[in-house]
Amino acid sequence: MSATVSTIRQPLIEGGKTYHQITEDICTPTERTPSTAWVIAFLFAVTGLAVYVFCLAWTIWNGIGTWDLNRTIGWGWDITNFVWWVGIGHAGTLISAILLLFRQKWRTGVNRAAEAMTIFAVICAGQFPLIHMGRLWLAFFIFPYPNTRGPLWVNFNSPLLWDVFAISTYFTVSLLFWYTGLVPDFATIRDRAKGIRRKLYDFLAFGWTGSAKHWQRWESLSLVLAGLATPLVLSVHTIVSFDFATSVIPGWHTTIFPPYFVAGAIFSGFAMVQTLMLLTRKVLNLKEYITLEHIESMNKVILATGTIVGVAYLTELFIAWYSGYIYEQYAFYNRVLGPYWWSYVGMMACNVISPQVFWVKKWRRSIFVTFFMSIFVNIGMWFERFVIIATTLARDYLPSSWSYYTPTWVEIGLFVGTLGLFFTLYLIFSRVAPVIAIAEVKSILKSSGDQYAGPNAAHQHAAHSEAH
Amino acid sequence: MNQFTFEARQKATLGGFMILGLLCMGLTAIGDDGHYTRLWSNYLHNSVFFTGIALFSLFIISAFTTAWAGWYSQFKRIFEAYSLFLIPGLVLMLVIVAGLWGGMHHLYHWADPNTLDPNSTHYDPILVGKSSFLNANWYTFGTLVFMAIWIFFAWKMRQISLDEDTNGTTDWNHHHRLRIWAAAFLPIAGFTSAAVVWQWVMSVDSHWYSTLFAWYCGASWFVSAIALGIMSLAWLKSKGYYERVSSEHLHDLGKFLFAFSIFWTYLWFSQFMLIWYGNNGEETVYFFERMNNYPVLFYGNLAINFILPFFILMRNDTKRKYGTLIFASILVLFGHWLDFFLMIKPGVLHTKHEMSGHHGAGHGDAGHHGTDHAADAGHHVADAAGHGADHAADAAHGVAETAAHHASSAFEAGFSLPGLLEVGTFLGFLAFFLYMFLHNLSKANLEPKNEPYLGESYHHHV
Repeated sequence: MSATVSTIRQPLIEGGKTYHQITEDICTPTERTPSTAWVIAFLFAVTGLAVYVFCLAWTIWNGIGTWDLNRTIGWGWDITNFVWWVGIGHAGTLISAILLLFRQKWRTGVNRAAEAMTIFAVICAGQFPLIHMGRLWLAFFIFPYPNTRGPLWVNFNSPLLWDVFAISTYFTVSLLFWYTGLVPDFATIRDRAKGIRRKLYDFLAFGWTGSAKHWQRWESLSLVLAGLATPLVLSVHTIVSFDFATSVIPGWHTTIFPPYFVAGAIFSGFAMVQTLMLLTRKVLNLKEYITLEHIESMNKVILATGTIVGVAYLTELFIAWYSGYIYEQYAFYNRVLGPYWWSYVGMMACNVISPQVFWVKKWRRSIFVTFFMSIFVNIGMWFERFVIIATTLARDYLPSSWSYYTPTWVEIGLFVGTLGLFFTLYLIFSRVAPVIAIAEVKSILKSSGDQYAGPNAAHQHAAHSEAH
Repeated sequence: MNQFTFEARQKATLGGFMILGLLCMGLTAIGDDGHYTRLWSNYLHNSVFFTGIALFSLFIISAFTTAWAGWYSQFKRIFEAYSLFLIPGLVLMLVIVAGLWGGMHHLYHWADPNTLDPNSTHYDPILVGKSSFLNANWYTFGTLVFMAIWIFFAWKMRQISLDEDTNGTTDWNHHHRLRIWAAAFLPIAGFTSAAVVWQWVMSVDSHWYSTLFAWYCGASWFVSAIALGIMSLAWLKSKGYYERVSSEHLHDLGKFLFAFSIFWTYLWFSQFMLIWYGNNGEETVYFFERMNNYPVLFYGNLAINFILPFFILMRNDTKRKYGTLIFASILVLFGHWLDFFLMIKPGVLHTKHEMSGHHGAGHGDAGHHGTDHAADAGHHVADAAGHGADHAADAAHGVAETAAHHASSAFEAGFSLPGLLEVGTFLGFLAFFLYMFLHNLSKANLEPKNEPYLGESYHHHV
């Protein structure tokens, strides 16, 4: 990477850090006893996890009759939560793979935590299709392998099966990508550790020595995985959208679904990254690595993807009218003005209208507004999936089957519970691994540290090299 | 050499091609039917294609500016000059608008007043439903107002960029202003491009609809703009300009060509696969028509715009070498021209058959006329009878359509495949586009001055 950096760019590492200080700042949180804030957060998260385990046991013991699903409304909160969590997972891969391809240096400050978020979000997402099967012990039926079940064989024509392949592939590649990045950083922690911790981190670091050959292999592997991950970002949510769009149900069968689901996924993923990063930088005191520049860049992505999603909503609405197909027209009329109008309003307000505050630079750089908006967007994207699933199924072709769906306490408990699962995993992660990629941040220090770039740089040789 | 000179010989060459284009259009008119359908559809096809390239050049500048891209700043004037083609583009499209008001062409079935007349044999309740959008007023409004907005942005951003050359300072005031205009243009382009695509292109098949269509067209234009940019840059380098543009920059442009060819394919596949899987007659008719009566173009489209660039540009080194990169660019530019051909021509031909039957102009179309009506009748039943009958009626519709296709599957010059006249017309329009491009390029410094990212662009290394 060239060292010529325009003076218009702001630094991405503040505080005039040296390589050693970077190591210190990022490793320390894993080496000291947890702070009170962390303990309180962990207690909350584990309580949520307990709620999850309880509701899961309740569901499996009593069957999914404990949910409010019926013959018309076969999908409710379960699949809404599934799509929501998968979508959240997308930002991690986007940051690590696509922003790497576009050489966006600000990714180094947030990629590690975002990739961890991806993995935990996909774990949460994976719960729902499994529980929804009702008989969890038969879950292995989704794998195509020679069996004695006769005609009971997977349906390769079904996008639900494609989901199984897409998400398991995505999970595997994301996990490998994340772990590959962690290897040199685990070695850094190991080199500072003593006793059993040292042995443990040496095992986790695969005996990394930092030789040139190691770095070279590490770079090659990262590139290969980035290449694999890029099409996967698009494919996963594309296939999730196929779950709906391949049907002939008005409101679901529409060609814009694949790219629009992907845009929405990135949108919600970035919102969740913001939520996590704002908390992490505060609790672990990493404000010099996750700077306002990072937050502003992510807010721009949120604004861009939110507006793309807005274009898609209005396109759908317009084409539904334009189609001249009365069922399509009614499906959208029902979405906007039917019994679930409040969820459509919530979706529009949170996803399209409110992110427009980020046109104002001051608000893009405001921690308060950003945090507030990140929660807002997450709510809005949950509403989007609820709008698509529940409002469509509650009023299908047969008016005599129309009904209204409200979740039972078990369904609510499962959703809240996965939040507990997610935050439990994230909090553990923040204790055992460096939440910022040490090696990658170091790689941009000389071009983006505030003593090298930006208004306070000590020397600006590069900026004027074009003046001749 | 920071100043491009538009030499007399180059002007003459491009002028020659423009005359060739006019000649081809004249020849097309001589052999054409009474409504000059082939001529008008060629005109619409090329006008839309090149106007869209200009729009997406502006989009590219806006997106790159918003994303703080530094690498391309040396040669951003190329895309600036492309975007100024929006002005001649407006003139080109206004001819279509004038033709619409004057009833001079029959490109759009919805423009036929008989479709809205309940007493006419051509009465079409579906088009009545759409008539508050598909009408000459909206078409004019969209073309005139939305294009005026684009032109305003193109002009404004060009002014700021030129002013930066002389008055730019190191507090980057100009660039900060440019960022605001660029960011504002992105959502405007998102909404307005969709609206005009529905009018200009999708409404050619006036019954058919697809929510993805506007984005699909956009991806097609985006790839075309990148391909043309690569070729222009290579040509200018061969003339001794842009000495500091290296294989590093071409590599990145090559990546864009590669990535967005795949993105285009992704949209193509999404649209096709969902319609195929849903198997709803109102939607499948679009691909049914194209797969059966335009198989060379239908499969060729995928081969030229996906398979070839994918394999040619997959390796690192092929994106850095002129031979392979230019070859892929030529393929893809022509490929997307074919893509738009396939979007526009089948619908226009269908309308032509309807119209010629109606006016009794008699090009041996009487047979199609009858079967088309059978198809329409099937449609009416579907509408009246609600959902239960829908499937049955769709089936009936399908059968009738098939019959219509058998009748119309005869080869139609300039529709079934682009003929020499179409290629000549394309070359004429291309020459016109390049003439305006080089003209605008010669009006300013080739490389901007006082541009904040210029140093990064000079030292770009991938």
